[in-house]
Amino acid sequence: MARAREVPGFDCGEAFGAAAARIVAVRAEEVFAHADGVLDVEDPERLHDMRVATRRLRAALEICEPCFPPKRHRKALKRVKRLADALGERRDRDVEIAFLESFAGDAPDRDRAALAARIEVLREEQRRANEALAPRLKPKRLRKLRRRLRKLARAAES
Amino acid sequence: MKARAVEGLDPAAPLRANAVRIVATRLAELRDLAEPALEPGASQAQHDLRIAAKRLRYVLELTESCFGPEAADARRFTKQLQTVLGDLRDCDVMLPSAAGIASLEILLRTRRELLFKEFVELWRQGAEATWLGLERALAA
Repeated sequence: MARAREVPGFDCGEAFGAAAARIVAVRAEEVFAHADGVLDVEDPERLHDMRVATRRLRAALEICEPCFPPKRHRKALKRVKRLADALGERRDRDVEIAFLESFAGDAPDRDRAALAARIEVLREEQRRANEALAPRLKPKRLRKLRRRLRKLARAAES
Repeated sequence: MKARAVEGLDPAAPLRANAVRIVATRLAELRDLAEPALEPGASQAQHDLRIAAKRLRYVLELTESCFGPEAADARRFTKQLQTVLGDLRDCDVMLPSAAGIASLEILLRTRRELLFKEFVELWRQGAEATWLGLERALAA
């Protein structure tokens, strides 16, 4: 899992609003930096990293809420939550598939067919989760979210 | 589970003063949720505690440099808590679909028991000292 990026110029004595602008700007960039290859189910860590970055951004938005214009903040948070939920749906399947596949080799013969069937169901759910996620990862959509978050961060500065 | 509201935040006041209020609220929330979660079968309470640990961890990740090493210790401890409770949660989520696959059901139940013991041990050995350290750091 990727470590959280340092926030440049972070200063505990600075006004909360100015710090919030800096924090949200960095956490937002972390999300977009992890957007490549997320739909590749053969490399689930990519999705995991983006999901963690999205959760950190969501936490930052919630923590710094009083520093932002309420309506703009609500809209941005809603979009980040939707992205996080879509990533979470895929991640849940990735985790369960990995767990079951690692167990399947040691399972007794009598359970192997049922395990294989369960993994198949999960693969189908994983495919559907990816389909639901794909539109949210389109470059145009991500650019729009990025602009929204930049505007939000600037609003906290002023 | 909705996060408890943090009272008295002020965007014009220094970050540290606001962070003290946020961390204190998240810590109180986590402590209040701990006791019911220490019951073996209390899946929902354990899930709620995991969410509370995650919230505290993320605030500390952002603000621990305002509070020093005891806040970093608390952040590491909440990460440990979040990990063990997350693994416990994974067992709870997978158990219903393991019905009819005897070996998987046994594995998940055994794993859950072990993880629960790990959680209780972690909490009993580390929680109080960690939280007291964090409170000292907030008051400094």
